[in-house]
Amino acid sequence: MLQSLASNSCVRLIQSHKSTWYFASLVLGYVLYLIFGAVVFSSVELPYEDQLRQELRAIKKQFLQENECLSEERLERFLKKALEASNYGVSILNNASANWNWDFTSALFFASTVLSTTGYGHTAPLSDGGKAFCIIYSVIGIPFTLLFLTAVVQRIMVYSTRRPIMYFHQQWGISKPLVAIVHATLLAMLAVSCFFLIPAAIFSALEENWNFLESFYFCFISLSTIGLGDYVPGEAVNQRFRELYKVAITVYLILGLIVMLVVLETFCELQQLKQLRKMFYLKKEKPQDRLAILEHDHLSFTTVSKRAASQGEDKTQSFIGVPTLMSPNDDPMIQ
Amino acid sequence: MGLKEMLSLVRVPSILLLGLLYVVYVLIGGVIFWELEGELGQKDIGLLLSNKKKLLLKYTCLDQDGLEAVAQVVQDASKVGLSLKGNYTSDGFWKFTSSAVFAATVVTTIGYGNISPTSTAGRIFCIFFALFGIPLNLVVLNRVGKYMLAIERKISDFLEGKTGRRKCTRFFVHLVSYMSGTLLFFVVPMIVFQQHEGWTFSQAIYYCFITLSTIGFGDYVADSNPDKVYPEWYSVLMASWIFFGLAWLALVINHSMDILERLNNHFKQWWTRETPEEESGSVEEENPETLETQVEEEDKIKKTPIT
Repeated sequence: MLQSLASNSCVRLIQSHKSTWYFASLVLGYVLYLIFGAVVFSSVELPYEDQLRQELRAIKKQFLQENECLSEERLERFLKKALEASNYGVSILNNASANWNWDFTSALFFASTVLSTTGYGHTAPLSDGGKAFCIIYSVIGIPFTLLFLTAVVQRIMVYSTRRPIMYFHQQWGISKPLVAIVHATLLAMLAVSCFFLIPAAIFSALEENWNFLESFYFCFISLSTIGLGDYVPGEAVNQRFRELYKVAITVYLILGLIVMLVVLETFCELQQLKQLRKMFYLKKEKPQDRLAILEHDHLSFTTVSKRAASQGEDKTQSFIGVPTLMSPNDDPMIQ
Repeated sequence: MGLKEMLSLVRVPSILLLGLLYVVYVLIGGVIFWELEGELGQKDIGLLLSNKKKLLLKYTCLDQDGLEAVAQVVQDASKVGLSLKGNYTSDGFWKFTSSAVFAATVVTTIGYGNISPTSTAGRIFCIFFALFGIPLNLVVLNRVGKYMLAIERKISDFLEGKTGRRKCTRFFVHLVSYMSGTLLFFVVPMIVFQQHEGWTFSQAIYYCFITLSTIGFGDYVADSNPDKVYPEWYSVLMASWIFFGLAWLALVINHSMDILERLNNHFKQWWTRETPEEESGSVEEENPETLETQVEEEDKIKKTPIT
């Protein structure tokens, strides 16, 4: 989902420059980045996996020795079933069966994770009907969520970014790029402390087995909509106020996503970032007509965002100087 | 001034309405999932408990605590992608190719979660990796989507030159590209997964959708069954499918968002039919204008009541 969201904001920065060199270097960088990640992950995690593997083997052997009446084959069959169930969020452990995965608040939490495309996967629909509904629900719901988020972010942006920058620019006479970068940094710090550090502290207090890093990791994985699902809050055995807790987390996730997008957008409007882009920009020649066609296409990403932007802006905020949104040379139509 | 107030009055309900609609939509989803899944989950738990009881009865030497201890261990192990089933010949999850797949699921924000870093260092690295990887991924995918669009455009223009009918060919090309996209990114992978993973068609199509929409539950993950041997080309095919499929789906989602927005505009227009100034403003939104011209338009609108 972030894919489509960012196409609304960040990517319009680089849109006007279509050199193939840039594209090639981008792809190359992407592949290298993936390979780099794979190398690091495998070197960091492999020893742990090996250790766990050996532990598991030892425990199994010990268990079979202690309970000699149990055949290995029979144990494995049972375990297979138990693991399958645990993948669906049904635990075999005695005490854990007290809370339901699909009571109303959990279902609500689930629906919100589907729509924001976080998708923890701690519970997933089991029935065929549930699966089919899940597909249809998200086919309609995800674009709807995008629209909603874009609309909200556009409105917040005016108050969070453009107006303060204009204010400091006019009142104190500081140059606009400087104000913008200071503002963006402060905003990012504020967002990180309000939506990462404080919630992480709260989670580490509320959840029994989570330390601060694990809570922070959870916040990051959630708000970036990766949603690995290795940590999911509110799943503990004797969670008090479980319903309320789940609803609070749902609200936190949606608010957090909006704030993340606002910060992202703020950074995208930075003048310095546009400078950075110019470094990648190698070739000047470009067929003007093809560009125009691309920009005119109604499928094109810019049009959506620009329309959303203009909708948000020009209707009421026309008095605060809309042209600050982007400098004229960013606009391919003018060039 | 009167116009400005009116405009803000029009605007505030629209965002509230949208928000309300959104909340209602989420609530409806919650209710339906609850209805659909609640009973089944209950049945599943019952089955598991009876299974467990049967096992305990059959092997009397095994006590409750012992069984639960082993179940706990196995559950933890399965969370990090290990299976207790006999053979340990497979070389584990965190080998290079699987790590690459994991890295890809992180930067694309799919995040299956069938496997996740367990060490502290791995987690910290994961955060930073995603921090830089996700924007990079966005840019690249967007580029790829653009190129796909450009190819479609070229074909459309070429055909237009041949036939001379503008609207008809454009519609036709759009239709064909969507059909072929669906075929390429849903139907073909569905058949391949059904063949190689032993899933049913409905499971395979569900997997395809959950992956490409980047929801990524991880209840079904291709290329991850420890008991199966996969051909070499399988993971390459899967990676390229995810890559191009995501670009394509981002395009489609944007398109449907566009339609929703147009619908929204249409309703707004319809709502405020009685104010002629409003209408001239919202008609402008139909075609992508630069901001400069938008501002000019705004000025024009503001002047009209005065003159």
